[in-house]
Amino acid sequence: MQRSVFGGTWAPQWVIIWMLFSVSANTGSALSAPSRDLFDLSLEELMEIPIVTGVSRLPQASDTSSSPVTIITAEDIRASGLTTIPDILRFACGADVVQVERRRYGMGVHGLHEAFSDRTTLLIDGRPADNPVYGGPDFQGLPLLVEDIARIEVVRSPGSASWGANALTGVINVVTKKPADIPGGMAKTTVTEFGDSYTHLRWAEVRPTSSYRLSAGYEDVKNSEDALDGTADYQSGVPALNPLMGFDTYVARDFSRNLRIDSEAFFDLSDVTKLSVGLGHSHLESGDHELGGYYPRENDREDHLRSYARLDRHLENQRSVSLQWMGKYWDTNWPTVTQLTTQQHELESQYRFTHHEDHETNVGASFRWDHIDSDPSASRPELARYFDAPLNEYNTGLFAIDRWKLSERWTLEGQLRGDYYTGTGADWSGRLTTLTGLDPNHHHVLRFSAAKAFRAPLAQLREASMTRIPIGGGLYVINLTPPDDLDNEQIFSLESGYTARLSRTLRLQCDVFYQRFEDLIGYRGTTNQLGQLAATADNIDGARAWGGDLELALDTAWGKAAVWYSYNDFEPDQSGQVLLAFLPPEHKMGLRFRRRFASDFSFNVNYAYVDTTRGNGMTGDNDLDVSHRLDLTVSKTLAKDRGEVVLGVSDLLTKTQDPVRESLAFTGHEFPGRTFFFSLLLRF
Amino acid sequence: MDRQYTTYPDKGRAVGNATFKVGAVTACLLLLTVVPLARAEDTPASEYEVKAAFLYNFLKFVDWPKTKTADSNEPMIIGVIGDDVFQNALDALERKTVGNRRVVVKRFPGMSALKKAGEREPSTPYPHLQGLRASHLLFVCPSERQHTQEILRSVEGHHVLTVADTPGFLEAGGVINLLTEEKRVHFEINLVAAKKAELRIRSAVLRLARRVYTPPED
Repeated sequence: MQRSVFGGTWAPQWVIIWMLFSVSANTGSALSAPSRDLFDLSLEELMEIPIVTGVSRLPQASDTSSSPVTIITAEDIRASGLTTIPDILRFACGADVVQVERRRYGMGVHGLHEAFSDRTTLLIDGRPADNPVYGGPDFQGLPLLVEDIARIEVVRSPGSASWGANALTGVINVVTKKPADIPGGMAKTTVTEFGDSYTHLRWAEVRPTSSYRLSAGYEDVKNSEDALDGTADYQSGVPALNPLMGFDTYVARDFSRNLRIDSEAFFDLSDVTKLSVGLGHSHLESGDHELGGYYPRENDREDHLRSYARLDRHLENQRSVSLQWMGKYWDTNWPTVTQLTTQQHELESQYRFTHHEDHETNVGASFRWDHIDSDPSASRPELARYFDAPLNEYNTGLFAIDRWKLSERWTLEGQLRGDYYTGTGADWSGRLTTLTGLDPNHHHVLRFSAAKAFRAPLAQLREASMTRIPIGGGLYVINLTPPDDLDNEQIFSLESGYTARLSRTLRLQCDVFYQRFEDLIGYRGTTNQLGQLAATADNIDGARAWGGDLELALDTAWGKAAVWYSYNDFEPDQSGQVLLAFLPPEHKMGLRFRRRFASDFSFNVNYAYVDTTRGNGMTGDNDLDVSHRLDLTVSKTLAKDRGEVVLGVSDLLTKTQDPVRESLAFTGHEFPGRTFFFSLLLRF
Repeated sequence: MDRQYTTYPDKGRAVGNATFKVGAVTACLLLLTVVPLARAEDTPASEYEVKAAFLYNFLKFVDWPKTKTADSNEPMIIGVIGDDVFQNALDALERKTVGNRRVVVKRFPGMSALKKAGEREPSTPYPHLQGLRASHLLFVCPSERQHTQEILRSVEGHHVLTVADTPGFLEAGGVINLLTEEKRVHFEINLVAAKKAELRIRSAVLRLARRVYTPPED
């Protein structure tokens, strides 16, 4: 099934080489062109100059960060016309996205992704946003609206040393817009040819000593069967079980309706003390899906509340201290999986100080409490049950980050973190990075890193038991039981990167890595003479991975263009080693292009090629074939930027997407690919 | 209903080669088309390089009362108070002129430090404020946000064009606030404050402002 893209007369490697050569060939003129004096420009012209905010406002510019980072800006997001974060991430170098249904996605960095994969950490403004029981970036259930995103940072390497367990392969940090950036009102609605809609209303206000933002949104996504006029096809991974599952009666139920509210406020309590608070709520109703041969065909319901309060105080001599509380609540009824009520409270404090101008240290501590309650109906033996529920789990972490500019050319950064989890014990993570400027202006920077990170398995893997597909007499085909003991997964990573500002418009980023995984968790199972599978999570074996990312990006006043290529090889130690996740596709490449025209029109192209994605589950072959995704939009600003209309098509090349089955799903169904849409944005 | 078992018809593969060709060719053509169009003046710059150029434009399009500009040999002074966010971006301004006047950049420490310096020299009334008041344009750095009101009060009546890039600056009584939206710099104007400082902001600037606070109708 696995197929290399390198075949045929139009082999992509030649396309890549051609692109790179073409850009390089044209770079000369940009490099040698005299830099025009900004002071000679008029106000109108100055207002068209794109600025690099990272240079002066962020703690680290992206080209001198200790890990490779891909950044997606608000402008990229708006130009794409897309309304889901995973769809946006498809076009980011280093991110792997698998769409399972209309609004269910698996997302990871360098692979090992599924809808509930906890090997990549999702943060919103640096605050964890993963589900505490299943992990995984549950984008659909988050109280986060796309138009509120200022940028998305995809950290393409292990990040546990900063963020704790489960930032095993990478980190996705969503940074939201602050009221000062978006004063006033905004209304935006997007509708698709299938009748899907996504509406967002926002008001933000800035006062002398305070500011706030309030957002509300409603999303309505239609069922695949409705979108495809009842013609969706279905696939079964193990046809022998079809009669037991009632497969012939399956009908896709991947609709969703979501009401989200999100708010944030900032207060200047004094000259040096600031308070920020946030509160968001998402109420999601959606159709259920088959999992492990169980498909009750009842609606899912998920209520998710996120809140935080943070106090920042600036002290003398460039020192600062912060204290933050984060609270998250989930009340979920997933008829396919289980019923859960969970709450998570986390206290985090940080102290940042400078020894001298070139030496900065950040130390901190965090304490987290997870309360997990589950009491599924006794009449539903298929639902997951948690041993000894309700569960109370605790995590304590201590971390230190030190960045020292040793000389004009050399910078050293060390990160060290120790964690104790009541569920899995103590572990540590670290990262050591050297950054070398090859020129005095640091336009060419070399980076070498060594890192260790870990994944602490969540309650679903450690505590859950589940039975599926009854065969009579109280017996079931699938029988999952919790393990006696489960160790953390470990990753050891060696990385190197080169970042170059070839001109004021052109940047090159090249990163390579070698990674060694140990104690990877999968399911170990035995089948008896009745065909019953008894399985339990276990540390099966390790794996090794290596690869690299190459991105060339052009950013000018008239538009942007970027081409990228990723190579990622992944070899488990055992053939057929179950990892309960998709493996990274070997080759990927992408193109992002945006051209602004003087007439307030702009044209946007996003393209991504993904090689065969190897599945890795227990329910038959679930490899995904080569895919091409091409999105086009045309937008026009109205009334001096007070409004904008966008007309677009996503996934132009594929009318319907083939069924996708995750590692514990026996079935999948077709869903729409090509989708025409229209959006209207108004500011007031 | 007919169901496919185990092996699903491969639509992605069927379109694979053909669509990839189309996509790749389109991508290459687009890139080749646009790259040569890159011009030096369109290149991105650091935030404060652009903002420095905005300050220079404001000097050109704002008229001060004659009492402030009586001596045509005197330079136009840009004051910067607080932790200087411009780094070297303002240096080139000192080689510029507005009309026949040179441009001079004067950097002041934060308000707390200025006041302490003033306390050490009680013989001179408000010595720490003289430099601020002599400025034609005073940029209030973000580090001085908590002292905004105090700084604005200090230069009241001295015809100073106050500029900042912090939220709430106009509401506090500042004249121009620089905004960053979608990676572009914009600005907003408080005409009430401008009128109070006896500054005339030309329409070429006013029409480009994101918003203009105007005096209430009498």
